[in-house]
Amino acid sequence: MSKNIVWRLLRRNISVGQIAGYALANLVGLAIVLTAIQFYRDVTTVWEDEDSFISEDYVIISKKVSGVGGASASTRFGSDEIADIASQPWARKVGSFNSAAFNVYAKVSFGGSSIGSDLFLESIPDDFFDVSPEGWGYEPGRSDYVPIILSKDYLSLYNFGFANSRGMPQVSEDVISMVPLQLSLSGNGRQEWVDARIVGFSSRLNTIAVPEEFMDWANSRFSSSAPSTPSRLIVMLDKPGSPEAESYLESHGYETAGDRGSNSKAAYFLSLVTSVVIAVGLIISILAFFILLLSIYLLLQKNREKIRELMLLGYSPAQVSRHYHLIIICVNAAVLICAVAVMLAGSAYWRTPLSALGVDATSPWPTIIVGLLLTLLVTAGNLAAITRTIRKSFFG
Amino acid sequence: MLPHVFRDSRHESPVKDSEIWLRESVSFRRGRCYIIEAESGTGKSSLCSYIYGNRRDYEGTILFDGADIAPFGIARWCELRRRALAWLPQEMRLFPELTVIENIEIKNRLTGFRSRADIMGMLERLEIANKADIPAAKLSVGQQQRVAIIRALCQPFDFLLIDEPVSHLDSRNNETVASLIDSEARRLGAGIIATSVGNKIRLRDYELMKL
Repeated sequence: MSKNIVWRLLRRNISVGQIAGYALANLVGLAIVLTAIQFYRDVTTVWEDEDSFISEDYVIISKKVSGVGGASASTRFGSDEIADIASQPWARKVGSFNSAAFNVYAKVSFGGSSIGSDLFLESIPDDFFDVSPEGWGYEPGRSDYVPIILSKDYLSLYNFGFANSRGMPQVSEDVISMVPLQLSLSGNGRQEWVDARIVGFSSRLNTIAVPEEFMDWANSRFSSSAPSTPSRLIVMLDKPGSPEAESYLESHGYETAGDRGSNSKAAYFLSLVTSVVIAVGLIISILAFFILLLSIYLLLQKNREKIRELMLLGYSPAQVSRHYHLIIICVNAAVLICAVAVMLAGSAYWRTPLSALGVDATSPWPTIIVGLLLTLLVTAGNLAAITRTIRKSFFG
Repeated sequence: MLPHVFRDSRHESPVKDSEIWLRESVSFRRGRCYIIEAESGTGKSSLCSYIYGNRRDYEGTILFDGADIAPFGIARWCELRRRALAWLPQEMRLFPELTVIENIEIKNRLTGFRSRADIMGMLERLEIANKADIPAAKLSVGQQQRVAIIRALCQPFDFLLIDEPVSHLDSRNNETVASLIDSEARRLGAGIIATSVGNKIRLRDYELMKL
């Protein structure tokens, strides 16, 4: 009953309109923030998805080949150039394409007859691959075969270009992976045959890639010259479509592989728009926070005498503030629940078109946790303001 | 001790004649009754407020059992107001929208000192039991004064500060109130500090001081 009596005293002058106004404003702000975050997270799974169609975390850069016979070594990257790229803020990791300095001839045999072709091989550090197929890696003398990762483009080139026009059968990735290959490695006065198998296809790398261990071993065995500097680099960017990276590459006359610029621009634009939307939501929330603060100060001012009298009776500031704290906590909790509901509804709305693009939904929990943290922050600010004001009025 | 407002009139009457202001020291003891008599505007209510800890605009020091009260914090004062110091403010400070019984319970629930029967007994003794469920705003000033006295008694105390407790009471009610307060203070071994502008509460024996 005591609580009821105190509550009956203190709830006077509480303006339902002001609290509803605050709740609405904060709801709008928080809902915008959470929805934007969830949208960004849902859409960027397209980027984060390793083998996805706008996987633009990586660029492969090379120098422009000018004229004929660019043997002037100008298309190779010097170690100082590599260091310069690696030191750029947008470059998270830099790897070099290590090319074979020996002759490679590949042969496919079926039932007695065989066809073959000269080939080139390259290797890059393992962590730059978008696929990690089984059997990747090489140990000289112990591995049964050399695993190869082929560019998906090559397979499409064969299937839709070559095979179509020559009336040859189209082959799937699985079929190709079963074909036994033999590689002839020669140079430096030696020649050897090794078994090889295509183990995976990459949409990121436009090359025929073998494990670095194999490349190091083969280069040391079949090449007389010292290891050459790379002519292509793969760079992991700090964010998709970094404009700084673009202008750097342009100013140095480097070329990037593939025409993914438009995707990266879209990605950049998306992250820009999302930041603006989140900023607007945050501003609305901050304004709402101040509305509530003003409303609380007004309420405490109106109830100042009652609060003082309660404290003169021996009520502690904590006992008096508790009632106001309860209102704030309830209102903020309700706002959070509604904002999360809005976010979930929005995410359900865009889920259909996104899943049509083959994008999996992300878990809403990180977004809900962000909302919870924001709400806790706002609530803590409100509660602290109430306690401070009430304590301040204790000594007249 | 001297309130700040009297700073410039320390050599004038009535401040210079006061038996409290400007004295080397004045002590109040438990188990004794004091009536502080003064004209209006000479600082009776201020004195009560200083002792009760809700005003600090004075010079000098107030000691509780030898401890200076100036550094007491909020928690300490809350504890004192529930356990050691009871106060009847001159303006009563009842909540007008609450009923008589609610005005008393709002204090008693905090201290848990009285049973409902005790409270009803005191209301009866002061002849306002029939007003128990009436909002304080509808009571006469004299009735409000009696409600406020009962509220002040709803806690254990070492000292009861009563600021003009009978200013609106007739002499019969003065007697009843005085005997109630006297018996409660005696039971608790507590001291009473009452102020008066003329109509003194009729305590059995007391020390009269001039402010």
